[in-house]
Amino acid sequence: MPELDSIASLEARREEVAFTLARYRTVVTMCGGTACQACGCQPVARAMTREVMAQGLEETVYVRTTGCHGFCEQGPLVIIDPGGIVYVHVTPEDVPEIVAQTIRKGKVIERLSYTDPVSDKTVQAEDEIPFYTRQKRLLLGENRHIAPRDIDDYIARGGYSALAKALDSMTPEAVVEEIERSGLQGRGGGGYPTGKKWRQCRNASGDARYVICNADEGDPGDYMDRSLLEGNPHSIIEGMIIGAFAVGARHGYIYVRKEYPLAVVNAGVAIRQAQALRLLGEDILGTGFDFDIQVVRGGGAFVCGESTALMASLEGKVGEPRPKDIHTVERGYLGQPTVLNNVETWANVPSIIRHGADWFASQGTERSKGTKIFALTGQVKNTGLIEVEMGTTLREIIYDIGGGPKNGREIKAVQTGGPSGGCLPTSQFDLPVDFDALYEAGSMMGSGGMVVMDDSSCMVDVAKYFLAFLQDESCGKCTPCRLGVGRLLEIVTDISEGRGSLDQLDLLEDLSWTISVASLCALGKTAPNPVLSTLKYFRDEYLDHIENKRCAAGVCRALIRLVIDSTLCDRCGKCIANCPHKAITGSRDTSYAIDDELCTRCRICADACEQHAILVR
Amino acid sequence: MDLSRLEEILDSKGSETFAIMEVLQDVQEAYRYISEEAIVRISERLDVPVIEVFRLANFYKAFSLTPRGRHLITVCAGTACHVQGAPRLLDTVLALLNTKPGETTADGAFTVETVNCLGACALAPVVVIDGKYYDHMTPGKVRALLEDIRFEDELAEDEDEEEVEAEANA
Amino acid sequence: MPEPITIFVDDIAIETTEGANVLDAALRAGICIPNLCYLPEVTPTGACRVCIVEVERHGRTKMTAACTLEAREGMIVRAHSEPVLRARRNIVELLLAEAPESPVLQALAERLSVTDVRYSRRDRDCILCGRCVAACAEVAKQGSLGMIGRGANRHKGLPFYKEEYCTQCNECHDRCPLELSPSGRRGDHCGVCGSELSMNDAIPDICEDCVLS
Repeated sequence: MPELDSIASLEARREEVAFTLARYRTVVTMCGGTACQACGCQPVARAMTREVMAQGLEETVYVRTTGCHGFCEQGPLVIIDPGGIVYVHVTPEDVPEIVAQTIRKGKVIERLSYTDPVSDKTVQAEDEIPFYTRQKRLLLGENRHIAPRDIDDYIARGGYSALAKALDSMTPEAVVEEIERSGLQGRGGGGYPTGKKWRQCRNASGDARYVICNADEGDPGDYMDRSLLEGNPHSIIEGMIIGAFAVGARHGYIYVRKEYPLAVVNAGVAIRQAQALRLLGEDILGTGFDFDIQVVRGGGAFVCGESTALMASLEGKVGEPRPKDIHTVERGYLGQPTVLNNVETWANVPSIIRHGADWFASQGTERSKGTKIFALTGQVKNTGLIEVEMGTTLREIIYDIGGGPKNGREIKAVQTGGPSGGCLPTSQFDLPVDFDALYEAGSMMGSGGMVVMDDSSCMVDVAKYFLAFLQDESCGKCTPCRLGVGRLLEIVTDISEGRGSLDQLDLLEDLSWTISVASLCALGKTAPNPVLSTLKYFRDEYLDHIENKRCAAGVCRALIRLVIDSTLCDRCGKCIANCPHKAITGSRDTSYAIDDELCTRCRICADACEQHAILVR
Repeated sequence: MDLSRLEEILDSKGSETFAIMEVLQDVQEAYRYISEEAIVRISERLDVPVIEVFRLANFYKAFSLTPRGRHLITVCAGTACHVQGAPRLLDTVLALLNTKPGETTADGAFTVETVNCLGACALAPVVVIDGKYYDHMTPGKVRALLEDIRFEDELAEDEDEEEVEAEANA
Repeated sequence: MPEPITIFVDDIAIETTEGANVLDAALRAGICIPNLCYLPEVTPTGACRVCIVEVERHGRTKMTAACTLEAREGMIVRAHSEPVLRARRNIVELLLAEAPESPVLQALAERLSVTDVRYSRRDRDCILCGRCVAACAEVAKQGSLGMIGRGANRHKGLPFYKEEYCTQCNECHDRCPLELSPSGRRGDHCGVCGSELSMNDAIPDICEDCVLS
C-alpha cells in the first residue's frame, strides 16, 4: 500500500475506495462479532462467499463480514443492501436460496425474516425493526458498514478525516477546547469530563506524556467496549491519535482483556494497517506529528480496570491500585502525565472533531451529552447492544427496545453499572439515562451494563452475587475492601441462608458507609452499592428472608425445598438420570422422592422434567 | 521439562515495561502453566525478584501454576449468565467431573474454570469448551457435550493403542 | 529543595515541606494520628487505612490515608472529626475481629473506644498490613517476602513458599503488629491517642506533649 504522506493523499485514497465500492450492485453484510461467531456465523459467511463465486456474482456482489450489530440474540444475521433486507438465525443451508431469490431476484424470503416478539409481526427491513428504530446508533451503527480488518472500509465512511482536520487546521489547544465544549464525559463509569482530563494532562509537567485506551472491560454483563474494538478498531485508533496530538503524547497503549481474543487480534491488525499507511508512526500524514500505539493483553483481573492498577499492570507489576491523591493526569504511567480513557470515550472523539462540539452537545440532556451504549441483557425479550441518546428513560429502554418481560413474568428491577452500580426498582424506571440522575438514585451509569431482572430473581441473591464477585476481584491490599466486603458477604450469606437478624441490616449500612469512604480505590469505594441499593429499594425482600425465612423468588437454596408432585409425575426417570447428586429415588412402580439431605436445590431435575412435576417450596 | 521454548520466548521479548506480562502470557500458552523453573528463569533473565514474578503469576487469572487439563471448560459467571442459570451449569460440570473450580481432574483431562464475563451475554448462559462457545446452555446440553468429549478421547486412545499394536506386530 | 509550606491539621498550623508525608508531619508536630501499617523508614502503602483523615480540596472533602497523602500549601486536614473517628473505629473493629488476641490491636481498639466487635472472631496470624513485606524489601533489602494472590485469598509468603528464600534476618518479625507488644510506658500516654500505640520507633516520645490532650 502506498503511504499517505499528505492530507491530500488521504482524500485521494478515499475517492479511490469509494469508486471501487460503487462497482458493486449488492452488498451482503454478515455480522461476525464474538456472539455471532458463537452461534455459527463463520460457516454461513464461508457458504455465502462460495455461493456468490459459484453463481459468478463476485464482480457485482460484495460480501462483508463486520463486527457486532448489537442484536446478538438473533444471530447469525445477514443484511442485503440496497434495501436493508435482514435475515436472522441464518444457517449455511439457507445461503443458496438467499443468493438465488434475494440477491438475484430481489425477493424476500419470509421464513428468514425477523418476527417482532411484541407485535408478532414479520419485519423485512433492518431499519423497521423496533429494536433498532428506538435507538440512536451513532457509534454502533458504523459497525455494520465496516469490515474491521479493512482500513479502506473505515476510510470510505469518512474515517481519519477528523484526524486530518485536527492536524491540518487545529492547534492542540483548539482540540482540547473542542472536546471540553462538547461536554463529552468518560464512558467507563465515572463520567469525568474528558476535555478537562486532557487539559490537566496537557498542563502537567513531565518528561513524556502517554495516552491509554482502557479496554479491560471487566464488568460482568458488559461487552460494548469489546464490540467497538472488535468491530471498528480504527475509530478508537483515530480518537487516540487526536488525543495524543492534543496533549502532546508520542506513545499510546490499548490495554485489552485477554478474554477478548478477537478484539486483541482486530486491534493489532488495525494498528499495523494504520502504520503501513503512515497514519501511525513518524510524520503522520506528512504533518511532522509522531505517535504510535501498542496493544497490551491484560492478565485477567477486574481491578485492572481501575486507572492506577491498569498502569501498574502496564509497568509489568501486580495490578494493585495506588492512592489517587495525585491524579494520573499528573502522575500516571511511569510517573508521567497520562490520559486514560475507555474504548467508548475514544470512539466518540473523531465524530466530535469532525462534526463539531455543538453538534455533539446538542444531543442528550442538560448535564450528559451524546449517546451511550448499553449491554441490555437478562429477562427481557430483546437482548443485545443498544445505543441511545442520553436522557432516554430506563422504561423506554426496557419496554420499547427490550420488548418488556419474557415468559409472561413481571419485571421488578434493572441492575445498572455492574458491580459498582445498583439495582433500581420499577418505580425508578422513568429516570433518564444521565450520569447524575443514575448516581443520585443510588446506582451509576458504569460502563453500561443493564441487566433486567424479573420476579424469578432474588435481590438478596443478586447482592450476594456481586459481593462474591468483588471479594474475589478486590486486590486485597486495603482493609475496608478486603475485610469489609468479605464481612458484607458473610452477613448477606447469613441472611440468604435463614440465619439473619434485623441488627445485621444496620451493620450492613454502617459497614457499607465505611467501605465507601475509606477504601483506597474506586473498586472498594463503590463495592457496597449493590448492597445499599437493594437495601434501599428491596428491603422487604431482606425482611422476608430474615423474619419469615422465606425466599419468594425461590432462589436462595437454604430456604427452599424441592418436592415431586406425584399427581403430575409420570415416572419417566429423567430427573433421576439428570440429578448430579443422586438425590432422587424411585422406580416405575413406586412414587419418586427427593432426599432433602442429598439435594443441593440445583433444580437440574426441574429443568429436565417435562411434566413440570418438580415444585419449589 | 523442555525449557527451549521458554528461552525462545525470552529471546524475542521486547524492551517495554510490560514485557514481563507478555512473556508470562506466552509461557502460559506454550506450556499450559507457569512452572517454578520458568519463574526462576524469567526472574534471572529480566532481572526481577523471584517473588515479583511469583506474585504476577498468582495475581492474574490468565496464569496457572499447575498444568491445565487437555480440555479447558470455562463456565461464564457473568451477571446475565448468573440470572439465567449459570450456577446450575457449574454444579453439573463439577459433579460430573468430580472436581472444583480452577482445578484439574485427576486424569489431567479437564480443567474447569469460571470467568466473570465473556461478553456474549445475549447468548446466556454460555460455556466455552476448548475455545468454542456454546450458547443458551442447559445442564442436559452440557452433560451431552462432556460425554461427547470423553467418547472422542476414548476413540483417540483406542486408535493410539491400535497403532502401537500394529507397529509391534509389524 | 522542596518548598517550605504550612498545612493545617485539626486547625493546628504545621510547618513542613511541599510533598511531605502528612502523617509524618503531623506526628512530628505532636498530633497523633493513629496508624498501623506505617513505618517511617519505608515507602508508605496506605494499606491498613487506620490513619484515615479528611482532606479539603477544591471545596470538597474526601477521606484518604494520611500516610500516602502529600502535603500541599494551605492543605486542610481533619484527623479527628466525627466521620473520621467513625470510619477509623469501624476499620479497627474489622482488624480486631481478625486477631482479637493481639495486644497491639487491643490497645488500638481501646484508644478508639471500640468495645463491641460485631463480627465473628477469626484468630488469624496475619492481618496483611504489609509491614513485613516492606521491611524485607526496603530495610533488609532482600525482597523475598511478598503479598501473594488477591481478594480474600491474599496472603503473605515466600516464593513457592520455600524457606530457602529467607535469610532469617528477622526484620519482618521485629515489625509485625501481631508479634509486638505495645512498646510504650503504660500510664504515660496521652488521653486522645496514647504514644505507646504508634509504633513509630523513629519518632520517639511523640505523644508526651500531644497538643490534643
